[in-house]
Amino acid sequence: MLMPKKVKYRKQQRGRRKGKAWRGGDLAFGEYGLKALEPAWITDRQIEASRVAITRFIKRGGKLWIRIFPDKPFTKKPAETRMGKGKGAPERWVAVVKPGRVMFEMAGVDLATAQEAMELAAHKLPIHTRFVSRAGAL
Amino acid sequence: MEQIIVEAAPRETRGKNAARRVRLTGQVPAVMYGGEGGSQALEVNAKQVTAILRSPSGHNTIFKVKTKDTEQTAILKDWLVDPVKGHLLHVDLLRIAMDVRMRVKVPVHTFGEAQGVKLQGGIFEMVTREVEIECLPSEIPTEFRLDISELMIGTQLRASDIQLDPEKIKLVTDPQRVLAHVVALRVEEEKPAEAVAAEAAAPAEPEVIKKGKKEAEEGEEVEEAPAPEKEKKK
Repeated sequence: MLMPKKVKYRKQQRGRRKGKAWRGGDLAFGEYGLKALEPAWITDRQIEASRVAITRFIKRGGKLWIRIFPDKPFTKKPAETRMGKGKGAPERWVAVVKPGRVMFEMAGVDLATAQEAMELAAHKLPIHTRFVSRAGAL
Repeated sequence: MEQIIVEAAPRETRGKNAARRVRLTGQVPAVMYGGEGGSQALEVNAKQVTAILRSPSGHNTIFKVKTKDTEQTAILKDWLVDPVKGHLLHVDLLRIAMDVRMRVKVPVHTFGEAQGVKLQGGIFEMVTREVEIECLPSEIPTEFRLDISELMIGTQLRASDIQLDPEKIKLVTDPQRVLAHVVALRVEEEKPAEAVAAEAAAPAEPEVIKKGKKEAEEGEEVEEAPAPEKEKKK
């Protein structure tokens, strides 16, 4: 699973996810990509599940870029615990994704394969997404 | 060459609310600068600018910006696109003089199938998609086309491989810049299911960066000591 090697602080506040992704919204490396249409916390497990779905589908051939990184920890209190006594323990890592963000990019495969692979990846994510390609960009 | 004309009007209003109202009328807020004269706030026809961006010459297309009383030659310098909807939000126009050399970025396209992909099973990867050149506005090429059929694994196409007329066009991008290469496929070993499950169940915590060297040497006791005092104050 993806997670930072070093962090300055173990716990973070939740923050807000308003607005659009004004950076990271264009295809930077590959020919095809998967764009988020909603804001969400994408967990390390979801990223890994999407990656596995794509790499299994394209088998040999093709290159994949993961453009998001889960660098935000979220905490959880243990079950059946009374409120108070401080913030819970770090539970998992998430990537904060805003609408417009290109999460995955792919190259070295044909359009149909890329579309199918990205659709499989999209099924592992908790948000609506859109398949994007360089040909369709402005 | 066909002359492209973009209709524009001076824009008196400023700010996001006024810009939104401009966009509702099918226009796009724009700014024109460079050459002789200062910067000028305009609103231009969104459809015409989008058509320019989608044309074969793309953002390097030279066109006339026609307002009520003036007509100026310009080129698209920058443009802002909505990351979700994909439509134009704002355009930067650069005034140009046809007799002054200028720097532009020209797209690089490839043709053919690389030997490294066909015979060696590598992956063709485009590293740099645009190169910067310096030339007269009338001599801006639409694109550079490179033959990749001789490319093997471990070999690259560099910016210096582009055939240029040195009298007309000067390459600004570093000649050693890699444009495209064929890389060997990295096969990922799939981890056994048990290892994946174990990793998912108990994710290791990352190292926390400590504030200073001294604290790190003295150990964690020093760090933890002042904590109770803080709680008392609350």
